Amino acid sequence: MTFFKGWRTRLALVLAVVGPGFITANVDNDAGGIATYSVAGAQFGYTLLWTMIPITVALVIVQEMSARMGAVTGKGLSDLIREEFGLRATFVLMLALVVTNFGNIASEFAGVASSFELFGVSRYIVVPLAAAVVWAIVVHGTYGSIEKVFLSASAFYICYIVSGVLAHPDWKAAALSTVTRPESAGFRNYGYVSMIVGLAGTTIAPWMQFYLQASIVEKGVTVRQYKASRLDVVIGCLFAAIVAWFIVVACAATLHTVGKYNIVTADEAALALRPLAGEYAYLLFAAGLFNASLFAACILPISTAYAVCEGLGLESGLDKRFEEAPAFYWLYTALIVIGAGVVLVPRFPLFRIMVLSQVVNGILLPFVLIFVISLINDSELMGSHTNSRWYNVISWFTVGIMIALTIAMVIAQGRG
Amino acid sequence: MSLVALSELLGAAVRDASGTVRGRVREIAVAPQDHPTRIAYLIVRTSDGERVVPPDALKSAGRSVRAANEMSQWMRYTPSDGVLLLKRDLLDQQIIDVHGRKVVRVNDVELESTPINAHLLLNVVSVDVGARGAIRRLSKGIVPSFTLRALLARIPPRVIPWEYVDLLVTDPARRVKLKIAYDGLAKLHPADIADIVEDLAPAEREAVFETIDEEVAAEALEEIDPDIQVSIVESLDKDRAADIVEEMDPDAAADLLGDLPEEQSGEILKEMQPEERQEVSQLLEFGERTAAGRMTTEFVAVSDTALVDHAIEALKTFEGSREALATIYLTGPGQKLVGSVPLVKIAITSPAVQLSEISESPVSCAPDTPQSEVAALFDKYNLITLAVIDEHGRLAGIITADDVISMLRHSH
Repeated sequence: MTFFKGWRTRLALVLAVVGPGFITANVDNDAGGIATYSVAGAQFGYTLLWTMIPITVALVIVQEMSARMGAVTGKGLSDLIREEFGLRATFVLMLALVVTNFGNIASEFAGVASSFELFGVSRYIVVPLAAAVVWAIVVHGTYGSIEKVFLSASAFYICYIVSGVLAHPDWKAAALSTVTRPESAGFRNYGYVSMIVGLAGTTIAPWMQFYLQASIVEKGVTVRQYKASRLDVVIGCLFAAIVAWFIVVACAATLHTVGKYNIVTADEAALALRPLAGEYAYLLFAAGLFNASLFAACILPISTAYAVCEGLGLESGLDKRFEEAPAFYWLYTALIVIGAGVVLVPRFPLFRIMVLSQVVNGILLPFVLIFVISLINDSELMGSHTNSRWYNVISWFTVGIMIALTIAMVIAQGRG
Repeated sequence: MSLVALSELLGAAVRDASGTVRGRVREIAVAPQDHPTRIAYLIVRTSDGERVVPPDALKSAGRSVRAANEMSQWMRYTPSDGVLLLKRDLLDQQIIDVHGRKVVRVNDVELESTPINAHLLLNVVSVDVGARGAIRRLSKGIVPSFTLRALLARIPPRVIPWEYVDLLVTDPARRVKLKIAYDGLAKLHPADIADIVEDLAPAEREAVFETIDEEVAAEALEEIDPDIQVSIVESLDKDRAADIVEEMDPDAAADLLGDLPEEQSGEILKEMQPEERQEVSQLLEFGERTAAGRMTTEFVAVSDTALVDHAIEALKTFEGSREALATIYLTGPGQKLVGSVPLVKIAITSPAVQLSEISESPVSCAPDTPQSEVAALFDKYNLITLAVIDEHGRLAGIITADDVISMLRHSH
């Protein structure tokens, strides 16, 4: 009986804080992420699956620190950066965040457009509708109701797992290449290395740190509930990694096997899957793309608005009304309207905007990660919840690798 | 008399009497123990360590600072807990704007410099929370200062006078030294205090509730979102929590303690005064959604043989909530409820009349009546208060209309 009761209260504790970590990790598999995983599978088959485990570990470490900071201090990341590093650093950081997130938002709406064009629906109908839905969900919802919508959207990622199963992969080969050390010969291939950089870069992004910490705070998670919250982060990252694994596997088992290496986007991947994996796999892949794009399009503008308003000391929060937090809602609205708008402008250089935003993303990430590590080791702020020594070693190692990889990506992209 | 911004002073070159640049301003300190607004000294970083320069040794303070004496007369700086450092403690931090009743972030601090005889008097006058302060700081050193001044003059200021600023300091010892008592905050309406507190980080909420008067704290706590209520009470030490809970309406206190883990609510109950403890723990035993869970045990009851005069005396000594005063209950032998008199009737009847003469038959319900039925009774009989009686017909408590309104709002 006590066992049952203990188990039940523990479950209730977990359910009470589940959400922020799970949602953040899943949004990570957005339009850009799905494209990257598809291309990785199509070009290199199962040979890149080994990256999934280290990338997941890095994701967990980075996310856990933000979640812990949110629970201990009860303040958002940009709040803390403002208080510890001043207005100017915050302002520049926020400007960069708006630029890079704007590029991401545009690419999410592009994902929405291309997923519906697979079904023959014009983007001039879908994109404005999607923008209106995104805007309304957040502006008219409360934190609790929005979280439920987002959690349901996270569950929809199962699409990709089913689609991966329908692709009839070689399970044994896939499993083996996930856990075995990669062959060193691969690293001499420029394309292979730049793909690894792409995978890592698409998985750990600056907006996640801001979004996760802000939603932990808004949910009111405290130090006492933190253990459950950490579980939320870990489970979220694991689920996101499994989904990513299945996307790679689906494309590897089909496109790579028949030598169709030259896809670039997620909708191309879906189209190429159709004759190989069947109608259902194709439909699920396309529906998954739509869900992921729309989901991320909901989160990115809100995360940006949160971070910027907190950092600059403007009223923010979904629980406030429009008149109480005008800057918050205006920024949010502008990001959606312009982000969706550019997708509809004919011959708009969207691709260049996305490349630029990736570069800014890459420049921003090291700063954000360094801020995170220095804040989390500030004992005046974190009390006894600073990183332990071994945790610091691991996180600096992770951050160091992430920084090296993103610099490599920025340089590669700069070369064109 | 002129205004100077903290951001202009920070980093400004400091010259000694001979006009030689000796260092730059690093910090500006106020010693609240001595004077609440006056600048005690500037901390100047020189080639020979950090020195303090009090305003009475200054000739001018602006984009450059001129001292009236030699550097050798500037004392060495030793850190002290008892001073407020404007850059560290104020700039970019959140404060409570007591006048605007919200939490805001400081973009800049405005000081007033007044020449008196041969020296200066520097005072903090306001904090800038608007665009003007932000733009001044962002463009400092990038835009030429005269262009900047012209630009800034066009931006309408958003400043909060210093007397309306309450600082958020989480370290209790430091709070005492800096004389931070949240006096301004405590004067606000409890509902406004509640809104402000909900916007703060947990450690800051704790700071406010450790500091303000127990009665005010109790009233504000009643207005706060139940989840936040719980986390605040959990963060306070048990003595302090008990002091605040004692001051709360017994029904609100019971709701709060009911939401806490049993172990903690037990500890708080243990620290409470016996009388309040008994009331609250009785309420705790009933379900929250019943008449007993909603009732308060603080009411006015007098014997039915008493006179109107006695009732007025009882009203004068009553310490419970104002809402409970709306009805005076009459008890007969064995404390049984026999009648009720609305407050209005007391006011218009002569003091020598016996209460039983003006008594009405009371509407009452049993302790286990579900709250939906309680609301129905209020509706049907147009009640302001409703008596709750135990199995022996004795008055156990009363429910007031304001409790019913919040009950109805929360059930939707």
